[in-house]
Amino acid sequence: MDIRELQGYANFFLTMFLVLLLYGYILHLYRSEKKGEKDYEKYADMALHDEISDAPVENNPKTKESKE
Amino acid sequence: MQSNAAFEYDYSIAKLFTYTTILFGILGMIIGTLIAAQLAFPELNYMFGEYGTFSRLRPVHTTVVIFGFTLSGVFATFYYVAQRVLKVSMAESNLLMTVGKIHFWLYFVGALLATVSLVLGFSQGKEYAQYEWPIDIVIVIVWLLWGVSIFGLIGIRREKSLYISLWYYIACFIGIAMLYLFNNMAVPTALVSGYGNIMHSVSMYSGTNDALVQWWWGHNAVAFVFTVPIIAIIYYFLPKESGQAIYSYKLSLLSFWGLMFVYLWAGSHHLLYSPVPDWMQTMGSIFSIVLILPSWGSAINMLLTMKGEWNQLTDNPLIKFMVLASTFYMLSTLEGPIQAIKSVNAIAHFTDWIPGHVHDGTLGWVAFTIMAGIFHMTPRMFKREIYSKSLMETQFWLQTLAVVLYFTSMWIAGITQGMMWRAVDEYGNLMYSFIDTVTVLHPYYAIRALSGVLYLSGFLIFAYNIYKTITSSKRLTEEPQFKTPMA
Amino acid sequence: MFHWLEKNPFFFSVGVFIVIAFAGIIEILPNFAEASRPVKGLKPYTVLQLAGKEVYKKDNCLSCHSQMIRPFKSETDRYGQYSLSGEYAYDRPFLWGSKRTGPDLHRVGNYRTTDWHENHMWDPKSVVPDSIMPAYKHHFTNIADIETAYAEAVTVKTVFNTPYDVEGGTKLGTWEEAQKMALEEAKLVTADMKNKDVKDAVESGNIPEIVALIAYLNRLK
Repeated sequence: MDIRELQGYANFFLTMFLVLLLYGYILHLYRSEKKGEKDYEKYADMALHDEISDAPVENNPKTKESKE
Repeated sequence: MQSNAAFEYDYSIAKLFTYTTILFGILGMIIGTLIAAQLAFPELNYMFGEYGTFSRLRPVHTTVVIFGFTLSGVFATFYYVAQRVLKVSMAESNLLMTVGKIHFWLYFVGALLATVSLVLGFSQGKEYAQYEWPIDIVIVIVWLLWGVSIFGLIGIRREKSLYISLWYYIACFIGIAMLYLFNNMAVPTALVSGYGNIMHSVSMYSGTNDALVQWWWGHNAVAFVFTVPIIAIIYYFLPKESGQAIYSYKLSLLSFWGLMFVYLWAGSHHLLYSPVPDWMQTMGSIFSIVLILPSWGSAINMLLTMKGEWNQLTDNPLIKFMVLASTFYMLSTLEGPIQAIKSVNAIAHFTDWIPGHVHDGTLGWVAFTIMAGIFHMTPRMFKREIYSKSLMETQFWLQTLAVVLYFTSMWIAGITQGMMWRAVDEYGNLMYSFIDTVTVLHPYYAIRALSGVLYLSGFLIFAYNIYKTITSSKRLTEEPQFKTPMA
Repeated sequence: MFHWLEKNPFFFSVGVFIVIAFAGIIEILPNFAEASRPVKGLKPYTVLQLAGKEVYKKDNCLSCHSQMIRPFKSETDRYGQYSLSGEYAYDRPFLWGSKRTGPDLHRVGNYRTTDWHENHMWDPKSVVPDSIMPAYKHHFTNIADIETAYAEAVTVKTVFNTPYDVEGGTKLGTWEEAQKMALEEAKLVTADMKNKDVKDAVESGNIPEIVALIAYLNRLK
């Protein structure tokens, strides 16, 4: 088996793996939202309420304000 | 509850980059229009002696619009958007303000020097990577400074999650860093030999290898300058301007990772010509069609964000710009894969269909999105309303007409020339000499030059409108939340 | 699962890097050794030809001319034998181009002469009446940078082991020797040219760009 053929197989299987991963991920996203474990859509708010005085969707515990 | 009320977002860096976006936009488009006209009317080649020929100016056009106009637009919007979605002000960190300022000035001086060096004829001879090594070093430093700004702002953020736009800015940063470094690996000849011009270098790769690396850069530079950061821009400005949350955050997650995966396929048409088994090539094609889904995800997400709000299209020209941009994005991401099909590529390669394809992307998608971003930012950065809505409308229709003229004329020109190159008579002899296939293109080149004039006029109207907005438009007492106010 | 990444910028960036680096690793790296092997009998460029290649790059001829003949009958009929990977082994950078506003030049040395190029660069319409190519009259007055071409040859010889000064290779020698050889080669080119100023310049030891460019174009076979 020469390097070209090996490349072909590697390319094929890795891509297949990534496609499966991606579609698995779609499934995971919709399932966990249906079960009510997570609400992804709330993050879209980050663009709409983006004044510096608006409350963050989720506070970052690492910044200084929250430590104070 | 929080002490951040004392701060305001600091737009000083975003303003500076906005100016260069407009400056380089005008410069790049003037040169573009000139070289388009040179193909139709060759006498125009002699306006500036040896510095004004088509061949010398073409790389100046491409690099000014890519690294001047587009990157300025990306940086301008980044310094605006990142503060807002992270809910942190640049003013909170002296270090970041300093880095931002150095980033801008080094970028601006570097971009001017780079442009002059190309006009003078210092060129590595690689498309979209013409700059010689001293300029490459400046570019790498500028890029790293941007990296410091990105990760520095993220480091002091109040919002824990990164908004969609930031994913794309980060991807742009990493992608270009990797590709640019590998493609521009060169050995300065004066340092090795002690002779000759200090600017000169030779590529580390030779022949076919160099072509592979260059092509890997060339294609992906389009991905990571003309696609990824532009998606970043529209993911912020469309929802914000329309007041509609993005249609689906989940879809944006999928299309982000999907897009990153899809660009694996950028390389795989090398394998089409190599001795890999046939069934594998077929499977490869099938998978790439399967993967169109996530790559269209972003555009569909944009259009669906407007669901039930289509009336905004009629009363807000800004929305019109962004919706048209998304549509052109869909068009060019469909056209690209079609051209990559082996039998289509046999005709399309080396013809004007390729610049035609590039320009539906750049004129229709990239420039429209960046201009919409600037229209949205300017009233907020300068606290004045947009100077004229009717000028926006005029600009929109001029430029839309220009894009349509551009790509239709280049489609016809490309296919005509591709077919003529391969046409044979009944005895199997070539029917046309090369020059026959050039003269036939004259009317299409003239139409393209006209489209350049229209687009450029639209851009000048844009620049005037922004200038008047900054200097003499009505002042705003408070920042508008969604729709941009315009007179 | 993945959502964790958006809250952890470092791992997010690592993830993006892995996903995009992947295509290059699989597709480009393994081809390197094979693709860089020269075809039999291929010689490195002479200093004068390299100087011509610099002119080709400087005026960016590749904006409009490819150097890449594809394996289709219509192309081999028009331009000659299709291009082989090994023919480009000493091309740094490669100059395939991506657009044919003008014809392919990979084997232009087979069917165009010094005389033809001289007329064509001075005024393209004199040999191709409908040509849209600009004239390159400045090539007749600008002096080619032989020293930088020599520097390039020395660099590829020392850094990449390009076979200069070996049996069956191209002779390079010291800077003085290289200058003398370039001038002799230039005189061979000007013997077929008619422009008096160019001939005089070469006689006095300065090689105009046009001479170097023609030496390079004649070498493309």
